[in-house]
Amino acid sequence: MTADRRAALEASDLWFSYSAERPVLRGVSLTAKAGEITALLGVSGSGKTTLLKLCKGLLAPQRGTVRVLAETVGMARRGRLDPCVAYIPQHLGIVRNLSVLDNVLTGALGRVAELPSLVRRLPAPELRRAQQLLQRLGIGHKADDKVYALSGGERQRVAIARALMQEPRLLLADEFVSQLDVLTSRDILTAVRGIAGDGVAVVVATHEMELVDRYADAVIVLRDGEKVLDRRAQAESIADLALALRR
Amino acid sequence: MTGGRRARRSGWVHRLVALTLIALLIVTLRNVGLLDPERLVRAVRNLTIFAAGLFPPDPSTLPTLSGAMLETIQIAFAGTAIGFALALPLALLACPLLFGPAITAPVKLLLALVRTVPALFWAIVFVVAVGLGPAAGTLAVALYSLGYLGKLLYETFEGVDPEVVEAVRSVGCSRAQLARYALLPEAANGILALLLFMFEYNVRASSIMGFVGAGGIGFYLLGYIQLLRYDLLLSGLLLTLVVVIVIDRLSALARRMFLIPVGSPAPAE
Repeated sequence: MTADRRAALEASDLWFSYSAERPVLRGVSLTAKAGEITALLGVSGSGKTTLLKLCKGLLAPQRGTVRVLAETVGMARRGRLDPCVAYIPQHLGIVRNLSVLDNVLTGALGRVAELPSLVRRLPAPELRRAQQLLQRLGIGHKADDKVYALSGGERQRVAIARALMQEPRLLLADEFVSQLDVLTSRDILTAVRGIAGDGVAVVVATHEMELVDRYADAVIVLRDGEKVLDRRAQAESIADLALALRR
Repeated sequence: MTGGRRARRSGWVHRLVALTLIALLIVTLRNVGLLDPERLVRAVRNLTIFAAGLFPPDPSTLPTLSGAMLETIQIAFAGTAIGFALALPLALLACPLLFGPAITAPVKLLLALVRTVPALFWAIVFVVAVGLGPAAGTLAVALYSLGYLGKLLYETFEGVDPEVVEAVRSVGCSRAQLARYALLPEAANGILALLLFMFEYNVRASSIMGFVGAGGIGFYLLGYIQLLRYDLLLSGLLLTLVVVIVIDRLSALARRMFLIPVGSPAPAE
């Protein structure tokens, strides 16, 4: 599929605070284009998770706007935008007591008939697509296994497969490879690279500069809730990024 | 105020609270009649007579008691099942992860009202409604279980990892789908543990339903007390003890077989 380079996500001048004293985000703007991986880089507490939650509509900004696929994100519109925006939280949010296949199928819940789905009667094409996604991510042979029995890397793949099952236009992933070893992280991010190649805009929050250097098309560096760098990743060396993080 | 003065004042407050509690306890003991030496002596004498009457246990009525015990277990089993079937949807309606306070608050209030009434009182109500026998006991246990299971279940749902709930909700699913694919599977261990606990508890509770004519072994136990046949009573109590121990063991086995180690960390790559 040819990558569509239009902006899937446009966030402008976002301000957010959990308490009155200290804003977590201060005037952050962000654009993520279809077919690209945008890395959100920053140390713990820099505001990456909050920014992703604002983009998904899980939190509402005190100031500023978030537009996804040219629609302003708000609680009223969240229902309509939800299926288009996949969100992988830091600890993945997969259901440990369901099978791998059922976890992936939850990604289709937004578009299937409600009553049959409650007794796990899902359309055959959805089942086929879930199985194909698992094959593509290399865990097709684990489809019937319960998630609690999987390794960390396999769980990441389940979370990605569920996100892809949504057929999203925008994928937001929060530090989802931070607890994996380097080799597994690279495998996962190679898979994410393939997803972006299908025309999905991907925003990945991370604090690992090496991954940014290798996989991201654009990088945004956050420090203490402020954007301190917003560039095409190729233009930045790891040393530049490190400097931006610590300056 | 200096540190030493504050510590002395805190010490006085602690002593005052302790003295007040001791005084309250003494007044309470006197009011319930436990500071009456004559009554205490009489109680010890009566207990000695009672204990002497228990032995040796008379097994002659064991066949009858076994039938009544089976009825007690059936009351507990059916009552727990009906209570659970009613409690589950109400617990989902009371869960704030699914509904707002306009729905959760009245449902929680309803469950609290049901819980307020003791099981034996429900048994009397149902004896009046459906007549003497195990049907009344089953309905009483069901209603009692509804109140407790409803509360314990919605608390279990509230304890589900919010990240899992948010992740599933964010695919754009309905409330019913969220319950089916996130809350129920994530809470499955807790639900099973609660069911087993409630069944064990209900076996004990059902053994006194017969006191008010609501079926089970309690009818015979009360009869033996009234006839001063403590040797027969001890046989009934020993039978109840054996059944409770067996059910405890079976519950432990069920936990080992069905509880899933979902909280375990991911195995190494």
